[in-house]
Amino acid sequence: MNLRTLLGCTAAAAFAAVAAQAEVTVLGWPGGPEETALRAVTEIYNAQPGLAEENRVELLFTSRDGFFDKLQVDLAAGSTAFDVNLIATYSIGRYAPFMEPITLSDQAGTVFGDTVLSTMQFGGAQYGVPTDLSLHFLYFRQDLIDALMADPAAVTLYGDIAEQYLGERLAPKAPGEWTWQDFAANALYFSQSVNPASPTRYGTVIQMKNLLFNMMVFHSWPRSYGANWMDADGNITIDSPAYRTALEMAKMLYDAGATPPDSTSYEYAEANAAFSSGQVAAMIQWNAAASELMAAQPTTGTFAPPAGPEGRFTHIHGLGLGLNAAAENKDGAIAFLQWMSTEEAALAYARAGGAPGLATATAAQLAAERPDLVQVGEYASTYGFVMNGGTSENALSVYEAQAKEFTGYWAGTQDLDTAMANITAAMTDLLQ
Amino acid sequence: MNSPRRENAVLAAPLVLFLLALLGFPVMLSVVYGLSETTFQTLTRPRFVGLDNFARVLGDDGFWQAAWFSLRFGVITAVLQCALGLFLAVYLAPLIRRHGWMVAVLIIPMIVAPAMMGLMYRLVLHEFAGPVPHYLYAWFNYSPPFLNAANVFTTVVVAEVLQWTPFAFLLFLTAYQAIPQEVREAAAVDGTRPWRMFWRIELPLMLPTAFVALFIRFIDGFRVFDNIYTLVGAGPGGVTTSMSIYIYEAFLRQGDIGRAMAAAILLFGAAFALLTLAQRLMRRAA
Repeated sequence: MNLRTLLGCTAAAAFAAVAAQAEVTVLGWPGGPEETALRAVTEIYNAQPGLAEENRVELLFTSRDGFFDKLQVDLAAGSTAFDVNLIATYSIGRYAPFMEPITLSDQAGTVFGDTVLSTMQFGGAQYGVPTDLSLHFLYFRQDLIDALMADPAAVTLYGDIAEQYLGERLAPKAPGEWTWQDFAANALYFSQSVNPASPTRYGTVIQMKNLLFNMMVFHSWPRSYGANWMDADGNITIDSPAYRTALEMAKMLYDAGATPPDSTSYEYAEANAAFSSGQVAAMIQWNAAASELMAAQPTTGTFAPPAGPEGRFTHIHGLGLGLNAAAENKDGAIAFLQWMSTEEAALAYARAGGAPGLATATAAQLAAERPDLVQVGEYASTYGFVMNGGTSENALSVYEAQAKEFTGYWAGTQDLDTAMANITAAMTDLLQ
Repeated sequence: MNSPRRENAVLAAPLVLFLLALLGFPVMLSVVYGLSETTFQTLTRPRFVGLDNFARVLGDDGFWQAAWFSLRFGVITAVLQCALGLFLAVYLAPLIRRHGWMVAVLIIPMIVAPAMMGLMYRLVLHEFAGPVPHYLYAWFNYSPPFLNAANVFTTVVVAEVLQWTPFAFLLFLTAYQAIPQEVREAAAVDGTRPWRMFWRIELPLMLPTAFVALFIRFIDGFRVFDNIYTLVGAGPGGVTTSMSIYIYEAFLRQGDIGRAMAAAILLFGAAFALLTLAQRLMRRAA
């Protein structure tokens, strides 16, 4: 290779590097329907007539393992490797110092609704456009419920078990009418440790592993009893009758054998495997599991989580895309983010397999293709909640601390008072 | 400076620079962060707080719980692995002399990455998807909860022993085979029985190897991370939180970099003290 060729190659490489920097690089959530959907909408965006070459979108994916840890380090280091990055509700506060608020399109409010938009807000500012929404469903075996309700002897036994464990006589109901007391009674009745004639080994499966995501699954329970992390004045209110009631009920079910004894090591995959085996009657799980669980157990029905004295709630959190403060092509990135908040983009994203939290009217346009999104949109707007402080800088750490203390109580390594004292101290430190 | 010394300095310079860049700088940075209030937001402007982080770590029940877990785990797994490795080396030595390929089969568990081993056990021990509970239910209509708070320590110890006993076995086999045959023959001529020969001749000759094996396995067990983290995480209430997991969670999960670095420095200090002690013991044994 002579000198001229070498210089030519170097110049070409330098040009390519500059050209690459001029594009909008989006760091997405890899390896699932989110990636497929993002690829699809990016193709649509890039095919728009008149889109400047320097504003074309390039996608960047890394491994899911430790994704948010790596993102944390990249953002803190001021990385310019991406202009737009993935964010999640519980991590916005942590990443906000390294990101910039954005203004979404005029259609955003109509397309997503205020509740879903709030999952991408921090300190009153919008830090991202929502892409995928996660909430929780009550999954139940309709065939088992039907058989129970049709058998008078079983109904009597159900009432006896409820009276013995819950202190009140209950009758089986349709899952859409369940309170948490009904959920617990159903879990006990369908557990062989309580009812040896049960057709399933366990009445439910509770994800009790020391993992922050499991706390999200659990939170709909205390919330329906009126729980929150903080009151309006910013006082930590976790040591409340609401949290104590839900924690005690979960532990009662664990101790009674209504959930597998290894539940303290269970997360999403393990719980799904348990339900799919046919040995579990009902469970609370992420909406993303719907197709998997229904395929494994075709009689599976879904509804919003059971109700408590304060109503019915489902914990929501979302994934979204936001603007890296160190972005080299901010204008191009903002244009892409604004387009992502339009109805055209949201519908295309949903059709490509994504799970955006759409407002009822928008979701209705997809009723035939994605009926699950209609349910997600309806539940999110009707029952969705984010705890006070749930998007704060240390929200992730709060969930972590709760996971450690609550799982310790469930597993019997500490009592409830100790767990409450520890979590109150930790949350005071983290949130105040 | 005379010529040989200058040559030595020139030859050593790349290594010294390499060590300074790859070890010295991170160590210095760790010390700075350990003495500062540092988060991801203040990585470039840490606030000096003296020994506050060390005081916080030493006053944290979670740290002592993790230290106790690591110590127990390190000691128990090291002793079990060495005992089993020694037994296998001596028991199988005659067989291996004739069938050398058996060594390759026996060390297969070592080839698997620890993180993969954790994931594998997560599947194998799962009540509804794993083969072990499946067959236990089929045969006895019962399977113990391998991963609940009461049993998880035993489970992770067994998993670690199954994976790393081959390492101790290899060390002991090498030492056993290195014992001069003449020594054994002389003892046999004097009428020494096999059991006595093992206790009085072979085992004492393998003691330096035993120290090395115990020490290496202890250090490996004490700093355990991958397999436990992928299998059960920090455990309910933190019951499987090792020192490494404690540091990882403080650093990346809680963003408390100062505390994480202070804990890491304390871990380094403890490891250094142990290393020095072990070296002295090995010299004395030799």
